[in-house]
This record gives sequence, C-alpha cells and structure tokens, in this order.
Amino acid sequence: MLELFLDSSGDDLIQTGQPMKPIRCILFACLLPTAYCLLLTGCGPTKDERKAHYAIEDYRLADYGHATEVLRPLANKTDENYVLNNARLGSSALAGYDLDTAESAFLNAYEVINSTGTNSGGRGAAAAIFSEKMKVWKGEPFEKAMVNFYLGVIYYMQHDYENARAAFENSLFKLRDYGESKNKDDQYRKVESDFVIGYIMLAKCFQRMGDEQNALKNFNRAVELRRNIGSLADPRRNFESNVLLVVDFGQGPRRVTNPYDGAFVGFGPKPFEVGSIPIPRVIIGNQVAVGPRSGDMAAMPTIDLLSLAQEKRWQDIDTIRAVKDVVGTGLIAAGGYEAYRASNSTGSEQRRDATAAIALIGAGALLKASSQADTRTWEMLPRTVFLIPLRLPPGRHDITVDFPEISGLHQTWRGLVVPDRGEATYYVRIQRHSAGPYDWPPAAMSQKAPAPTQGTPGAPGAPAPRNPFDPPSGPSSAAPLPGGTAGR
Amino acid sequence: MFVAGCPKNTALSHGKTTALDSVDLVEMTDDMTMKILGDPLVQAEIRTRGTLKVVIQPVENKMIGEILPRGAKEAFVARLRALLAEQARDRFTWVMNRDNWYAIRDRELDRGPDPDRVQPEFALTARFSSITDESSKRRASYYLCVYSLTDLNAGTLLWTGKYEVKKSAVKGFLD
Repeated sequence: MLELFLDSSGDDLIQTGQPMKPIRCILFACLLPTAYCLLLTGCGPTKDERKAHYAIEDYRLADYGHATEVLRPLANKTDENYVLNNARLGSSALAGYDLDTAESAFLNAYEVINSTGTNSGGRGAAAAIFSEKMKVWKGEPFEKAMVNFYLGVIYYMQHDYENARAAFENSLFKLRDYGESKNKDDQYRKVESDFVIGYIMLAKCFQRMGDEQNALKNFNRAVELRRNIGSLADPRRNFESNVLLVVDFGQGPRRVTNPYDGAFVGFGPKPFEVGSIPIPRVIIGNQVAVGPRSGDMAAMPTIDLLSLAQEKRWQDIDTIRAVKDVVGTGLIAAGGYEAYRASNSTGSEQRRDATAAIALIGAGALLKASSQADTRTWEMLPRTVFLIPLRLPPGRHDITVDFPEISGLHQTWRGLVVPDRGEATYYVRIQRHSAGPYDWPPAAMSQKAPAPTQGTPGAPGAPAPRNPFDPPSGPSSAAPLPGGTAGR
Repeated sequence: MFVAGCPKNTALSHGKTTALDSVDLVEMTDDMTMKILGDPLVQAEIRTRGTLKVVIQPVENKMIGEILPRGAKEAFVARLRALLAEQARDRFTWVMNRDNWYAIRDRELDRGPDPDRVQPEFALTARFSSITDESSKRRASYYLCVYSLTDLNAGTLLWTGKYEVKKSAVKGFLD
C-alpha cells in the first residue's frame, strides 16, 4: 500500500532523504492518516453484526421465529456482544412466546450484567485506547433494568413469583446508578418515577405470594411516584385480576452520533421530538373494556424509555473518548498548518515541516479514529410498557389492543385463555406489522405445551380451559391468596 | 484488538458476582450432610423408626434481587440428598415429590387406582434468604441458607441447619 505514496521514480522520503515536492508532501500528509483510519476502523460491520441487523429487521416485521433463529448462534458467542445479543434474543423469543429461550437468554445477560470486572484483563484499557466497541456491552442503567424487568415478566408469566420478585427488585437496583451519579435524592426519585413498572410488578409478585403488606407498600410507592396510575396500582383490582396484558409500544432510544466525526452526542430521539405516548384501548370481543371513553383508565404509560435515556450516566470512557476527539482534531489542525508551512519553504526546513505535518496529522487521525463512539444499542426496546390487569369471565376471549390516535396500529389475539383462578399473563408487542390476528396458543408454545382442549370454552358450567401458563396442579403450587380465598 | 481477540478473554472470563455459586453448593451441602448425620435428634428418630421416609422440595427463594433458576433450586437439595443417600444409605428412604410422582405417572402409566405410593414421613426443605444491596460502587449480599427436616405428620422440626456467606463485588471501570 505504501507504494501508492512513492513518487514515479521510486524514491521516497525515508529512503532517499530527498525533499518531496510540496504537492506530494501534502498528498502524503492527507493520505497517510486515511490509510491509518482504514487499517484501524476500516472493517465496517462484521458478519455477525450484519446477521444481527437482519434479525432486528425480522423483529420489526414481527417475524419473531426467524429473528430468534438468527440470533441464537450469535448469543452463544461469548464475545463483546454477548450481553447485547442475548438481550436481543430474549426480546425476540419473548415476543414469539418461546419462553424457555427467552428466559435462558435474559438470564445469560443478567449474569454478566450483575458481574463486576467483566472488562478487566485488558479489555477496559483496550476500549479506552483503541475502540470502545472492544468492551463487553452491558448497557446503560435503563437497559440493565429492562433486562431484569423482562426476566421478571417471564417468571411472572410462568407463575414463578419468587424469581419474578427477585428480578423486579434487581431492576430497581440498576437505576440507582443514575441517582448516585448526580447528587441527589430528587434525581433518583425522578428516575424512579419513570420506572414504576418495577414497583407495580414487584407489588403484584408479593400479592401473588400472599404478602399483602409488601404488596401494598409497593403499590403505594408506585402511586406516590406517579399520581395518574391509581387505577393500575389499585391493590383490589390487581387482586381480582385474572388476566394481565403486558403491552410494549413504540421504539426505544438509540445512541446518536455526530454525523461529521462520529462523536457520541447522546440518546435519541428526545421525547418531545416524537410526541406524547398514545393511550391504548383494550377490546374484548366487540366491547371496549379499557381505554379512552370506557370509564377504565388503567392503561396508562408506566415508563418512557426515551425520557429515561436522557438521564445517561456518563462513564469515564466517554470522557476519555471526548478528550481523544478534541486532541485529535487539534493535532490534525496543527499538522495542516505544518503542511502549509512546508509548501512555502524549501530545503531542510521543508523536510522538517513535512515530517512534522505527517506525524501530527497521522497521530491526530489515529486519535480521532479511536474515539469513535460505541453505538451498540438494544434495538428491540419499546418506548413504553402498558400493564393492564383485567377481570374477565373464565373461558376463551378474542382480545384486541389498539391505539385510536394512530390509524392501523393494533393487535388481535383470538381465543386467549382466561383462567378461573390465578392470573394469566400475555405479552403483546405492538408494531406496524404485527396486527394479527393471532391464534392462541402461538406456534412456539403449542410445540411445548398441550393446547387447551377441555370442554367448551366459556360455556356456562364448563370447566375453564387449561392455560399453558397454569402452574402444575397440586396443593403445593396453588398458594393460598389473601382474603380467605384459596387460589383464584 | 489483540486483547479482545484472545480466545480466553471472553465476556465470561473475568466477571465476579455475588451470587451463590458451585463452590457454595459444594461447601453448603457437605456441611449440611455432616450436620444432619451428626445430629443426636435425627439419630434418635432413626433408632425409633428405622429408616426415615423423606421427601425433598426445591429451595424456596426468599433472596432479595437474586434469581435462583429452577435447576439451581433443585441442585441445592438434590446434592444433599445424594450425599446422604451415599453416606447413610440405610438410614433414609427417599420418597418422590408428590407432584412429580403424579406427573410421571400421567406420562408413563394408564390412569388406574390410587397407587401404593410410600407415604413420606419427613420433608427435607431449604429456604434461602439474603440481604442484598447495590450501588454504583459495589454490590453486596449476605446469604442465610436454612435446611430443615420436618415431621410431616406431627408438624415438628426434627433438624435444621444453616449456612451463611457474605459476598461483595466492587464495581470498577466500565462496570
């Protein structure tokens, strides 16, 4: 490659010691750093990154099965994208109701997120010096919290309330990083108020385990943090609920870089850039059960990840990267000045200036190339999560979640099973291409669990159909619930 | 690039957690085996009844912010049962958990009259609790793992043993 920089006679600066012509000198000064940049960063997306990108496209098209299959081998690789790919796999598998895969993937991510020193052994230093992408991605606090939240949802769906509780508790731990990084309880409180889903689900776990006191404490905390969720955080409503809809809506935050030099500028879009979160309706059969004009306003947004992402806790590496970027720019500017001087001088002075210009521009370009932002993002995250507890007659129901403010945005499930006791939890990922209608049980689940077959669903006196989510029969699994009712 | 490319430098090779791990599993169950076999009340019960008919239950997770997956919940009692079965074969009869018993019968046998299942007299249970706290600087957990042998008919506690451990992990650069 260096031959490109030789003059036509084959002479070069180092071999001959002869001064280069000014124009060649400047050309050399400009092309050398470009070559450095190509060497350092000139790889573009790797094969695995391209595969992950295809999987994300599949996810957006609601082809969750294919997304899961593409991501599965990537998530097995214990490289710097291990946590990210497992989070992606967990999201895809959860949306496709492949709960075993989703649990395992989120658990893998959870274990590394909860570890310390993951980036030791040279990775941290390499990330600071060369490229931040070398560090093992563990996400920002809100991303860590969401890994724990989804893990909790999966356990909750499977009636494993002990582990669900632990996961929701952990999700709240992860947000402490925000509060402590800036000085103030108020700051932490603000972040907490954007994560009331953690408190509500924690309260629901306690309620299902018969710990009314802790349930009430957490419901109260949720309402204290966000006044407009009184109906959602009503202990009685949650106690009586036999269906819980967990509805993910919108696109979560993405890391945004400066288009000129790739420097990190934060998360986008900002909430005001995309407007407020629309309120959904829940339609059972043909009747609006929850939502605007139904008299039931339980479906309120519990979180705004776009807002939460604006609380990004700047890590040390961001500072290092910013310094490298500024110093790199300064060195290139100084090199440009030296090149200019070289073009206006002669003899040994020209040689000295040209050498200095090359060195400065090369060093500056290297620094800037290594200060490129790490833009890895968990693209499947929603903007918000709606939690909608419902009390419905046992049997099978067609349920639609729609958004009257956004034309065409809805999803329908046919034959969702409503148990006569306990609570069935259904996860709904609202996207442009996921209107359905989908039949219950979904393919990924029906391969693993027997489909409901008993009796005539919903018929008076008929036994309620068996839900694949039902806990195994037997007294040990039907934990008595408070209020003197043995299960519900 | 050289560092990241090293096959041993993976996302899992350096992390340290405060979770209960395989070392705790081995230490804890070894300790419980020794304690249960050396307990005078357990010995007296064995002398009175002959072998003890014991059923085991998975660990009850009461830990704060610590997930114990199904496999681990069973492993922490299954190893204890295996050690007891190995070291005191003639003193314990292990009875299958009722739910599992019926589940396997449902899968493998035609439904018929009530099986002559050996009725357990004792239950070997475990409850793990923890106090966990996490900040931007560190994560710390104190664990109390309590094993119990309970008389199912009388409702009395024949034996109980505990294992305590404290763990902390300091967060560093990029954690």
